[in-house]
Amino acid sequence: MRRLAVPLALFLAAISACGGVGGSSGGGAAAGSTLTTMGFGLPDEIATTRVDAFTKAHPDIRLTINQGQFDEQAFLSSVASGNAPDLVYLPRDKIGGYAARGALQPITGCVADHAIPTGDYYPAAARQVQLGGQWYGIPEFYNSVVLIVNDKAAEDAGVDPAEIDTRDWDALAALARKMTKSSGGTIERLGFHPKLPEFLPLWAKANGADLLSADGLTPHLDDPKVAEALAYAAKLVEEQGGWTRVKAFADTFDYFGAGNPFAKDQLGMLLTEQFVVSAMAGADPDAAVTVLPFLGRDGAPVNSVGGNAWAVPKGAKNPGGACTWMKEMTAADTWIAAARARQAKRAAEGKVDIGTYTGNQKADAVIFGEMRKPSGREAYDDAVEVIRSVQQAGFTVPPSKAAAEFTTAYQQAGTRVLQGEQTAEEALGQAQAEAVKALGS
Amino acid sequence: MRTGETRWAYIFLIPWIVGLVLFQAGPMIASAVLSFTDYDLIGSSEFVGVENYATMAADPRLARAIGNTLLYTVVHVPLACLLALGLALLLNRITGRAAGVFRTIFYLPSMTPYVAVGVLFLFLLNGQAGVLNEALAIVGIEGPQWTTDPGWMLAGVVIMSLWNLGASTIVLFAALRNVPRELTEAAMIDGAGAWQRFRHVTLPLISAALFFVVVVDTIAALQMFDQVYTMYFGTSQAQQTSGDAALFYVVYLFQQGFQFLHMGYASALAWLLFAVIAVITFIQVKVGNRLVHYEDPAA
Amino acid sequence: MTARRFFPLMLLAAASAIFLYPFLWLVFASLRPRDRTFGGQLPIPFRPQSYLDVWDAAPMLTWLLNSVVVGVAAALAVTVSSALVAFGFAYFRFPGRNLMFASVLGTMMLPAAVTLVPTYLIWNSVGLTGTQVPLWAGNLFGSAFYIFLLRQFMLGLPRYVFEAARVDGASYLTLFWRIAVPLSRPALIIAFIFELKASWFDLMKPLIYLQDTELFTLPRGLKAVVDRFYQGGDPKWEIVLAASVVTTLPLIAIFFFGQRYFLQGIATTGRR
Repeated sequence: MRRLAVPLALFLAAISACGGVGGSSGGGAAAGSTLTTMGFGLPDEIATTRVDAFTKAHPDIRLTINQGQFDEQAFLSSVASGNAPDLVYLPRDKIGGYAARGALQPITGCVADHAIPTGDYYPAAARQVQLGGQWYGIPEFYNSVVLIVNDKAAEDAGVDPAEIDTRDWDALAALARKMTKSSGGTIERLGFHPKLPEFLPLWAKANGADLLSADGLTPHLDDPKVAEALAYAAKLVEEQGGWTRVKAFADTFDYFGAGNPFAKDQLGMLLTEQFVVSAMAGADPDAAVTVLPFLGRDGAPVNSVGGNAWAVPKGAKNPGGACTWMKEMTAADTWIAAARARQAKRAAEGKVDIGTYTGNQKADAVIFGEMRKPSGREAYDDAVEVIRSVQQAGFTVPPSKAAAEFTTAYQQAGTRVLQGEQTAEEALGQAQAEAVKALGS
Repeated sequence: MRTGETRWAYIFLIPWIVGLVLFQAGPMIASAVLSFTDYDLIGSSEFVGVENYATMAADPRLARAIGNTLLYTVVHVPLACLLALGLALLLNRITGRAAGVFRTIFYLPSMTPYVAVGVLFLFLLNGQAGVLNEALAIVGIEGPQWTTDPGWMLAGVVIMSLWNLGASTIVLFAALRNVPRELTEAAMIDGAGAWQRFRHVTLPLISAALFFVVVVDTIAALQMFDQVYTMYFGTSQAQQTSGDAALFYVVYLFQQGFQFLHMGYASALAWLLFAVIAVITFIQVKVGNRLVHYEDPAA
Repeated sequence: MTARRFFPLMLLAAASAIFLYPFLWLVFASLRPRDRTFGGQLPIPFRPQSYLDVWDAAPMLTWLLNSVVVGVAAALAVTVSSALVAFGFAYFRFPGRNLMFASVLGTMMLPAAVTLVPTYLIWNSVGLTGTQVPLWAGNLFGSAFYIFLLRQFMLGLPRYVFEAARVDGASYLTLFWRIAVPLSRPALIIAFIFELKASWFDLMKPLIYLQDTELFTLPRGLKAVVDRFYQGGDPKWEIVLAASVVTTLPLIAIFFFGQRYFLQGIATTGRR
């Protein structure tokens, strides 16, 4: 182990000697009174309400929110140079990789010192921010995957949308074919968008398989059940017009506006995160859709959850303040206030609110148990019940030190199958070898 | 006299030499050293000898990236240079107020941000709803899925690249404007046809600019990144679904360095690219020295 | 004669239609409601709201001014320094010339991705990260692309003009300033415009060097805006498109009016 930084540092020291300026930025203010974040924006009232709560509770802390989504290069250059922000807001599935490399600091001490109620977080979200028995982040949102059915497409296919059974894969495939409409080489309605390769973990789980062992060390991509799931989902795509057409068609979807693919009757069924339902409720209150749990072949709901987390980079100048921030931003009361603001805003606009799905179970219990009142729009009120019912079934691909390579390996495999380059067995065999190499050394 | 000239030459070169020492040599040496290590950008680095270079030989994704990049370069550079030359010749034919408008139009694509170009062409080339296929449908052709079919994605990238010719066109246009009209007129009086005038009068006089365009465009093609990255790798969703059909060399290098945190391997990749470009440029310079006409015969 | 003029004009018109189309599409699509982004060509129904959204969402004017300051500084620095170096390469014959010129070409060959972090460390060591200085100061030392471009141009200048001036006792600085610079004016303007454009659209440097919203350049600021609309899933295309048009328009104006000087340069030198 030889730190390469040494010759580089000598070189740099020589330069700074020439420059004469030397010394890194201090900012002037005493440490502990400033707090900088990276990767976080202020997109809506859910963000601004919570930030306001923090600044009100801690007026002494000068807050700099460096707006813009998480960017790997910006983050890594700041860490490599010792200029790291105090906090970084990033997708939870990236945490394992950065933690293993030391880009993030363990916050187990912070969790203990500030008595952060870790039991409040959903177990699946909490597992995703831990590695090797240490905490590396605090989870924010908790996004669940559900199945959205277009009622009109179901009607056209002669089925009751509420009766659709995802356990029976043959029937599901037949239904997808029935819902699909196309003319010439152009798809007009996609029967069922299985969201491959993104949702390969979900499809594997529905078939009773995990992609990676719980300790994040042993990949199981060569499990025949994974291949079976991938082959099935890829066949779905093939039968609806083939990958190249299906993807090009899906690229034109605008899930978040009034012209969403359900309103336009461009989509029969979609596996997706609940925030799509939430956006539709805001844009299209009268949508004729049915939200269902995605049941695995054994009948249990399957739900791959995601979301962002707060973490403290190596070299953060104010880890104590960062800890205060993380606790405040994810506390049940803060979330509840934010959810209330969202509810008020949607009500004022005459739109439907399906609630705010936080990583904090205690907050969710209040938001859905006390705050949220039925909207009278049956489709969305039923959707809330469904989303709540699958939350405890949430799972994630376990965090690992080579999460980025592992994800790339199985997603590339999925794409190769979809593009018709390889069979599922071949592609996953190759991915397994790549994953073993990445996770092994 | 002679030594005085050398001294003055180096005085003019001072900015470059200082910059080379301060800003170029350091990072270049650093990356060369890193290419022999296992470095993750954050903490430790470990000396691994030539392991990174050995890994390259058995890296199937790298082979794919090299193949894509070379194919793109071989198709793009000749097409781009010929088209730019054609546009510059056309621009040189017209005068008056319209000329300024046309010049602006041809430079317009270069003034559109790369990110916008990427997004824009994802729309335009979309196989299901894009304008290109709608236009092809009018003449009865069912267009391919330019943005999703692995067999056509590279072709789509070439189409996009040929829209962005503004820089080359302007450089060649400026060179054309500097061709003394007396020379072409004299050749015309001597009875030379349009092709002969172009071949024997114009071409030699703009060959230095043409040489510049070819060399720079080749280097840029081999380092293609921004637009492709926006189109197929910019978001995790795009990256998941695009496969390796549009995997370019520098995109792969970027993935290794910043996503997988293999900066050592990425540095080795950079130096392989450096070597490849150096060889290609060396050949271009050698060939160019025979073909390019410089005013100063000793140059 | 008319046919000779007419034919190229027709070809030009056809070519410009193709080159103009994608940009027009961008402008028109930004003026349509989002569910019509793919449908139709003309901005119908007309909806300029996206521009107001972009303007409201952020301190656009501050970012615009920052972009102008940084862009002009970067372009001026690179044009002057590269011209000096290019003259050194084009006029003089000296030991080590080929080696030095190889170093110029060589720096173009290493992809920026790997020198990014070391370069960042250099600026950090002199305490200038977090300021706008790293966005342009590197240009004070010339840039390979422009040195190469200007050298090629200067090699095409008639040698006898320089020799005549030398006989008259002119110094090398006079040769550079009084002969090389005026004669290379089109190329210098090209260098200025290219670098202004490059700096105008550069996202990577502002992204890693700037933290303070007040210091953002336009692309960095727009990224913050766009990311806000991206969060939680898919982008609001119409905002992204409007933001792109807003970034591009000032530059088109600069080019359109700047080419007057560009032409002047050619008019005074090209007929020699």
